Amino acid sequence: MSSLRTTSTFKLGMWLLLAPLCLWLVLLIILPHLELLVFSFTDPEKDSFTFGFYQEFFLEPLYWRTFVRTAVMSIMATILTLLIAFPVAFYIAKMLKGRSKGIVFAMCLIPFWVSELVRTFGWMILLRESGVISNFLQWSGLSDGPVELLYTDATIMLGLVYTSMLFMVVPLVSTLDSLDDSYIEAGYDLGGTNWNVLREIVIPHAVPGIVSGCIIVFMLSLGNYLTPVLLGGKDSLWFTEQIYTQFITRFNWEQGSAFGLLLLLLSSLIVWAGLKISGQSFAKTMG
Amino acid sequence: MKKLNTLSLAIVLASGLIATSAQAAEELRLLTWGGYAPKEVIDLFEKETGIIVKVTKSNNEEMISKLKATRGAGFDLAQPSQDRVASAQKAFKIYKPMDLSKINDSQFIASMLAATKGQSTVDGEVYAVPHVWGSSGLIVNRATSADITDYTDLCKPAYAGKVTYRLKRPTLIAFAFAMGEDPFAAYSDVEKYTQIMEKVGAKLTECKANVKAYWSGGDALLSLMRSGETTAAMAWDAGGWKLNRDNADITFVAPKSGALGWIDTFVLPRKTKNEEGAYKWINFVMRPDIAAKITAAAGNFTASKGSDDFVDAKAKAQYQESFSAKDIDNIKWYPPVPAGLEKIEGKILDRVKAS
Amino acid sequence: MSKETTIDLACENICKHFSDFTAVDNISFTIPKGSFFSILGPSGCGKTTLLRMLAGFEQPSSGDLLIKQQSMLDVPPNKRPVNMVFQHLALFPTMNIEENIGYGLRRQSVPKSEIAERVAAVLERVGLAGSGKKRVEQLSGGQRQRIALARCLVLNPTLLLLDEPLGALDLKLREQMKIELKLLQKEFGTTFVYITHDQSEALVMSDQIAVMNKGKFEQVGTPHQLYYQPETAFVAGFVGDSNRWQGTVESIASSTVLVNTNDGLSFKAKVMGDKAISAGNSVEIFVRPEAINVSRTVPSEETDNQLVCQVETILFDGAKSQIIAVEKESGGKITVTLPQTSDFANLQNYDTIYLNWSAEQTLCFLDNAESNGGV
Repeated sequence: MSSLRTTSTFKLGMWLLLAPLCLWLVLLIILPHLELLVFSFTDPEKDSFTFGFYQEFFLEPLYWRTFVRTAVMSIMATILTLLIAFPVAFYIAKMLKGRSKGIVFAMCLIPFWVSELVRTFGWMILLRESGVISNFLQWSGLSDGPVELLYTDATIMLGLVYTSMLFMVVPLVSTLDSLDDSYIEAGYDLGGTNWNVLREIVIPHAVPGIVSGCIIVFMLSLGNYLTPVLLGGKDSLWFTEQIYTQFITRFNWEQGSAFGLLLLLLSSLIVWAGLKISGQSFAKTMG
Repeated sequence: MKKLNTLSLAIVLASGLIATSAQAAEELRLLTWGGYAPKEVIDLFEKETGIIVKVTKSNNEEMISKLKATRGAGFDLAQPSQDRVASAQKAFKIYKPMDLSKINDSQFIASMLAATKGQSTVDGEVYAVPHVWGSSGLIVNRATSADITDYTDLCKPAYAGKVTYRLKRPTLIAFAFAMGEDPFAAYSDVEKYTQIMEKVGAKLTECKANVKAYWSGGDALLSLMRSGETTAAMAWDAGGWKLNRDNADITFVAPKSGALGWIDTFVLPRKTKNEEGAYKWINFVMRPDIAAKITAAAGNFTASKGSDDFVDAKAKAQYQESFSAKDIDNIKWYPPVPAGLEKIEGKILDRVKAS
Repeated sequence: MSKETTIDLACENICKHFSDFTAVDNISFTIPKGSFFSILGPSGCGKTTLLRMLAGFEQPSSGDLLIKQQSMLDVPPNKRPVNMVFQHLALFPTMNIEENIGYGLRRQSVPKSEIAERVAAVLERVGLAGSGKKRVEQLSGGQRQRIALARCLVLNPTLLLLDEPLGALDLKLREQMKIELKLLQKEFGTTFVYITHDQSEALVMSDQIAVMNKGKFEQVGTPHQLYYQPETAFVAGFVGDSNRWQGTVESIASSTVLVNTNDGLSFKAKVMGDKAISAGNSVEIFVRPEAINVSRTVPSEETDNQLVCQVETILFDGAKSQIIAVEKESGGKITVTLPQTSDFANLQNYDTIYLNWSAEQTLCFLDNAESNGGV
């Protein structure tokens, strides 16, 4: 009798604990996506089913080219972020001890104390033709005229890498932290050079961190809106900008929904392919 | 993308929350442009009526999108441009008719009030009254670029990399006029309009080499012009006058083919919770002395009769320098936009950007 | 000449100072080829630092380190003819067994086919033939131990360093691995340097043991020497079990002293160590439990030291069972080994027993405040 009661209160407790998660999932994730799905298949004029908004994506080169460009640049930003973040993370996890470790880690965090907009404006002040770096180059005689560093794809890349750094450094530091120093020492002891140890011991160990960092950075870059719009040049097209335009300036929610779902689908596909190529499973990486 | 769909839900939730709290202290939720509700005016209004004004700054497209997402809820008063009232009402039914008896029409410049009423009438109901008006034209640094007198002059090879404009519909319309077309006349003729837009698109593509960057916000434009990175722009008159105060060489110039005139209006969202407060606000800000404060903050003149007497001399002088009597007659006022044009324009703009 | 070539490792006045303390304090020693050399000491005595200097992970503050007459000071770890078995083995979890063992060979650019042959051969020698494709986590603790050894031995190092590799194993397996390690060392003929805080591991396996305390070697010798002829009180206390008393010297006759202990007993003891002892010195004396004769009747012969005691507790541990007895008059306690004879089968608490042992078995060291180590 009493055991019955305890199991039923246990169940109630379980449900109460699960309730916020379920609410969050249903209200903020599932329902909006279902609505998007319905929108993207509805022809608003005839109020009937249509596949046209998806066809539009594949038939209009502008749209799929923008997507491909966005994806390629996001992948490049991810790789660059990884290349820069890895030594930083290794330094934090393996070289520093105690207090200094905390300080350097906090320094990686500081840029995130201001909003993305402010950070992006910061870059604009530095990089513009009449900006700090241009003036410095002229003052130091390295350049005899104003230098425009803004409004190029390289600037977008810079902004994306800067914004994403932390999200790569954190998972890398935590996986590298879990690599016992004795593995690295054993690697050297058995005759390995720095490169051998990195290639055969450190990197294989860090793969889950690398993969989860890459997934986060890739998704963040792909979904970024402000950085490409503000730092990018005349030709810079970003897929999220397309979605924003469809929703806000064209009032074309149906097309926007279709683009949104396509972005979700295609980016998931890219992540899946990345996992397959690196021989990782999603569960292993996130677990 | 996730941001967007949670946005609409968040708006619904947030407006629900605001609605419940509104019963505690009377509140007016205003969806407007930057500068149209300066702090000074809000404080005066609260002192007089006890109503607290909550301001959300936005632009035409976002105002309509927000109200579309909530089917007209979440705000008590909005301020879209005159040409965006009737079409949005027809397509999305997001506004509520105005009760003109609640409006003190003696405070309005009569011709402007009549024009706005006429353009915002749907099925016999009036949906808008005018507030601030202004124009788009050219901002030119006369020291270096005095020979820019029309939109198409921005494409002169001499100004390569020194020019900025927005990649938005006003630019398309402006270039169409400068190229000798009349896009407003073609509003009802989709085929003709498409043809004009294709032509403009080709011109803008050709002109792209001249553009340093497409500006997207007022601050970005001002800093481009102020720093001298660009010497000519297509932009709003108020921006030009603001720059003129710092640098006498820069000012707003009404283009030969005509400045594009707009009137920002007052409309009631369909599910407004404080209609009475909204009328109070309209009547309050149309008082000549208050309207002059708004002119000082926004840089544009209002439809308030007699407010000119309260506006500072510098602003008046700037206005007169930019607009001759002939220029004022030549202003092309935006007619209501028929539904569907945005799609045509959008594709052209996309192609220009992608080229 | 011939003697020199058989020395694999020579340390000359090695020191290692850290900012606030000295971990290794002026140590010199040599290790002959093919021997099993242990460094035994309590935790914090500096043995790990010494080992890490041999491997090259730490640089000595001063002194020299020679392997086959070659100074190793400027040789990085990956270039030294030295390999190490780590405390937790450090088998690479991202590689299978074969890849783990082949790691070092790949570094030497050995051809693939030869790597496969040598890996198979070494696996066979450690008794794990055919498990090359297994993953590390599929092996038992003892098997991992052998793989860690194989991973080093396949490289034919001059010197194999072992950093308490048995510490993580359970008792039974540890006993078994001790023997196995010794046999493998014999079979491969490689010189082993083994560090441990477990005296039993050191005693069972080693040819030579250095007892280390506070950065210095207290004594270097065979297990037998350390056990029976400790040179310092620390070694006497640290190696093996002992009864231990503090006391004062009453009188001296040649190498035998009469000591009154602080709890009121009186023993004849043999003077040990290199420090002169005179009457009135405070000393420490050690007697091993197994050196004490126990009988249940009054012994007929007179011996140097005799006690009449009462059994307080019997600690039963099979062949290693011990009696804790109390001396009747002073109440002092003494531990003796329980004889495995029928006489003692029915021994009870509070029974009277008679203890006696010779002065030869009673080791007396001058008590200097510094030699306060112990088990």
